[in-house]
Amino acid sequence: MAVRWTIPALLLLSAIVLVLPQLVHNAFALDIFIRILLFSFIGVAWNLMGGYARQLSLGHAAYFGLGAYTSTIMQVDFSISPWIGMIAGGIVAMLASLPIGWLCFRLRGPYFTIATIATAQALMLVFLKFRDIAWGAEGTTIPNLGSSPLMMQFETKASYYYVVLGLLAIGLSITYRIEKSWMGYYLVAIGEDEDAAEAIGVNAPRIKRDIYMISAFLTALAGTFYVQYIYFIDPATAFSFNISIEAALVSIVGGIGTLWGPVIGTVLLETTSALLQSWLGSTTGGVQLTVYAMILMAVILWRPTGLMGLVSEAWQRYPGRKPAGARAAP
Amino acid sequence: MTDALVVSGLSKRFGGLRAVQDLSFTVRENETLALIGPNGAGKTTSFHLITGFHRADTGSVSAFGREIVGLRPHDVCALGLARTFQVAKPFGAMTVLSNVMTGAFLRDRHVGIARDKAREAIAFVGLSRHEATAAKDLTTIDQRRLEMARALATEPRILLLDEVMAGLNPAEIDQAVALVGKLSARGLTIVIVEHVMRAIMAVARHIVVLDHGQKIAEGSPREIVENPEVIRAYLGSGYVHAPGTGDAHA
Repeated sequence: MAVRWTIPALLLLSAIVLVLPQLVHNAFALDIFIRILLFSFIGVAWNLMGGYARQLSLGHAAYFGLGAYTSTIMQVDFSISPWIGMIAGGIVAMLASLPIGWLCFRLRGPYFTIATIATAQALMLVFLKFRDIAWGAEGTTIPNLGSSPLMMQFETKASYYYVVLGLLAIGLSITYRIEKSWMGYYLVAIGEDEDAAEAIGVNAPRIKRDIYMISAFLTALAGTFYVQYIYFIDPATAFSFNISIEAALVSIVGGIGTLWGPVIGTVLLETTSALLQSWLGSTTGGVQLTVYAMILMAVILWRPTGLMGLVSEAWQRYPGRKPAGARAAP
Repeated sequence: MTDALVVSGLSKRFGGLRAVQDLSFTVRENETLALIGPNGAGKTTSFHLITGFHRADTGSVSAFGREIVGLRPHDVCALGLARTFQVAKPFGAMTVLSNVMTGAFLRDRHVGIARDKAREAIAFVGLSRHEATAAKDLTTIDQRRLEMARALATEPRILLLDEVMAGLNPAEIDQAVALVGKLSARGLTIVIVEHVMRAIMAVARHIVVLDHGQKIAEGSPREIVENPEVIRAYLGSGYVHAPGTGDAHA
């Protein structure tokens, strides 16, 4: 990689992202920024397993929901800070990924995907039925304590912005470290051809289990944050199939198995969706969804490698650069 | 010389089909053994059984005295048995270097060390100038070379090559034969499945002939080409081996 360009670009990007809430005070705009950061983070978490190792899960809502419920139960019933609840939720999700992975990884391809959908749906039903511990279908609101940073409650949207920005930074740095290590090579190898990977000594079941745990942990952190942000939880929100879809979609549109793919995908999709909603949503209901769907189809038809593919192609055409090429190149 | 690989009484059925029946053979250390026979004779299945991709119904396989039936493919590889596939399975989107590094990580998880080892294996098979090429853009012979380099990077003691010469032109076959010779000279024990008789005669010291899942003959290349049953089942009555090359061992 051309280090002399990436580092200044990264610094500039960080600077912009850091000062953004100081310049923009519009609540609607800040809300969109927070959603972009949140879904980028969920996409980054999903991408570790779904992108690099090509295990297309559509059940990551399971971990989002487990994270959300763990921290909320701890907070509402035991007054434990969501900061602690967040980590606890991550651990619960990690542990839950073990039996779920044990079952689902017996299947490959579309069968794996269907099995993951089923696990998330099953968990949603469990939380709908268990009214004693988790409020059943009505859900619950989070007690509003005003400004209470130790309880992850803030008066300004800007604070939430920085929290989720921090999460995204953690997700990206974990992805970067994994991508550059032996683990990254093993994940891509499994995604390319699991038999060939096994033949050269890659313990595919163990690698898949480990990356699933990391992915589940991170997804659960997003769940906690989301509940704290909207002050409400119910099974339909926490285990929403939309979460699973978004996680996969932003990565696929942005560039599956690339560090920045989920971020680029989210920026495009969330911005488009929010703008279409505000322009068209009030006058002609439904049109914004149609346009959104058409943009999706266009990307998948013409850019099956995602927008990152476009960026790296342009990068390679840049004069004076040798054509290097492929994914996971050192 | 010690026994590197001992296969005894190996059998595998797929439904009503007896893919491999009571197969036994021994490969001594640093020997090159060829497994030949008509299509469907059970050669590739034998490879799958030895390397853990299929579980044998009965029988045993021991590598340097260790029983390996029942182990998963990655464990078999960790014990020093590496294989290539009949249809090359490169990690297409990765570069040649990354492909081979993935193999090298088995012995050392350090990226820098893996890169050095990978470069050495790539140079050994003669792919150095394609180091940065995506594996999917390689020609057939280069993909086979890549598979060998990737297998070599796992530092095997026994190498199982499944039809590495299929689909190559005569000049490429000569290159491949030379490469197998080089691997043998490096001290590797090699089991090779091949149809190209010219190549087998050049590289193998010992040949096992399979037909319908059973071993029908075993011996030196010269004994095999004169064996009436092998001629009937596989070589065909018109087969005349060019004299002078039969005992050539690279």
